[in-house]
Amino acid sequence: MVRYARLYWEFFKMHIKVMMEYRIDFLIGILSVFLIQGTSIFFVAIVFDHIEALHGWTFYQILFIYGIAQTGRALEFIFFDNLWVLGQNYIRPGQFDRILIRPVNPLFHVLADRVQADGVGQVLMGLIVLITAMVNLPIEWGISELLLLVLMIVSSGAIFMAVNLFFASLSFWIVDSIPIMGAVFTLSDFTRYPMSIYNRSVKFVLTWLIPYGFTAFYPATLFIENSEYTMIGLLSPVVAIISVTIAYQVWKKGLKAFSSTGS
Amino acid sequence: MRKYWELMKSQIKLDSAYTIWYWSGTASTILRVFVIYAFWSAVYDNRVEITGIPLSTMLTYVVLATLLSNYSAGVGYELANRVRNGEVAIELMRPYDLMHKLVALDLGTKITSSVRNTLPIIILSFIFIGINLPHTWFAGPLSILSAIIGVFIGAQLDMIIGILAFWVFYIWGLRILRNAILLFFSGALLPISLFPDWLQTVSTFLPFQSIVYVPVAIYTGQITGSDIYFSILMQLVWLVVIFGIIRLLWSFALRRVTIFGG
Repeated sequence: MVRYARLYWEFFKMHIKVMMEYRIDFLIGILSVFLIQGTSIFFVAIVFDHIEALHGWTFYQILFIYGIAQTGRALEFIFFDNLWVLGQNYIRPGQFDRILIRPVNPLFHVLADRVQADGVGQVLMGLIVLITAMVNLPIEWGISELLLLVLMIVSSGAIFMAVNLFFASLSFWIVDSIPIMGAVFTLSDFTRYPMSIYNRSVKFVLTWLIPYGFTAFYPATLFIENSEYTMIGLLSPVVAIISVTIAYQVWKKGLKAFSSTGS
Repeated sequence: MRKYWELMKSQIKLDSAYTIWYWSGTASTILRVFVIYAFWSAVYDNRVEITGIPLSTMLTYVVLATLLSNYSAGVGYELANRVRNGEVAIELMRPYDLMHKLVALDLGTKITSSVRNTLPIIILSFIFIGINLPHTWFAGPLSILSAIIGVFIGAQLDMIIGILAFWVFYIWGLRILRNAILLFFSGALLPISLFPDWLQTVSTFLPFQSIVYVPVAIYTGQITGSDIYFSILMQLVWLVVIFGIIRLLWSFALRRVTIFGG
């Protein structure tokens, strides 16, 4: 564990050096990620210019849901983004063989190979949205509430990671699963809005099959009074642990099934 | 012309070869349409209209706008990659105009995906979401014409990213930036007529609404009568202006290639 932490730190320092080399690019990245997150907020704001509530949910409640999803996703984006290119950059060009002969856990190596600094823009936007919502919602914010919120955001990030890891691992069998990952990731769009607007089958899929519901909506309802979902929100950390475990098992299965492309 | 036609056909064949990309792309578009449907239905609950637009018109707008916005980007990223890895030098020696070649490839991709992806989804949307027919019989063909001009404007605008790659290293960031601007100002998310007034004014002076808003608004009847012809004329003006600017930028960029010896 200590060895891996130290190793990660070494990788991390290298990434920072590269970033400092291309400062303008670093700023463009942060700005652009910041802006693209901003467009969705602006979109919701414009819609709420014309209506008072969405299925009984107010503007700030929706911002709150959105803020949790954004911050959780941003954590995942910064540290685990390399999973997206597992097929494209590692397996297809034969680079994965290089990783297999090294004396570290291959998953660790793939993850440590990249730090997405642009995610800082997303963290900023996520926090702005979250704090705006928190100030405007009638919730008493004590230490325990804040700790609970942090736990929920970390669980949200872990679930995003687990889903990506699960579908990225398919690359071991089909060389590159990035289009499938993209399609599955579209599902996370559903969680920006209160899940009560969807029909039962959609809710079922997003709760029990691909648990994106636990990345934003269910945890958010914990803090919002009189919502019918409070109990299920508490399950988020459990769901996160289970998802990560399942995804890691699939990854290990994939590693066993893996045979090099030979290119 | 002939060689660009062949290039376009080769791209169509290439795109048809990747079935898993096709099915995943179609699946994500269907999912996005589904989210949009649920969201707007919820927005309209207990409400007959918003700024004079009834639910069925709004759904028609957002579904078509989402589909059309898939075509708003072009090959700027391709070009940028080629600039970055130096392939552009070889491309420039080949017996075609690189910009025209890229447009031809882009058209190939867009033709394949409109037949295989967009058309089936439009038909599904007619059946399951009940989106409207064109506002008038005449609005149908005019909106298609306008959409085609819009696609060309988008493709040209996108070249800017490719050309910027001569100066900026981090093209991925530029691409996200382009996505953010397009998503918002093209009207891909919601009709520009819902924007606050000041933003509508800003938008009229930008080329982005020509890419999605104008064609779809002609279809749904947000733009009617002689305004239709005026809007299409404006689109053509933008197309010509942008084409001119891009060519100018391109010639500057090429000078840079010679300076550094490729």
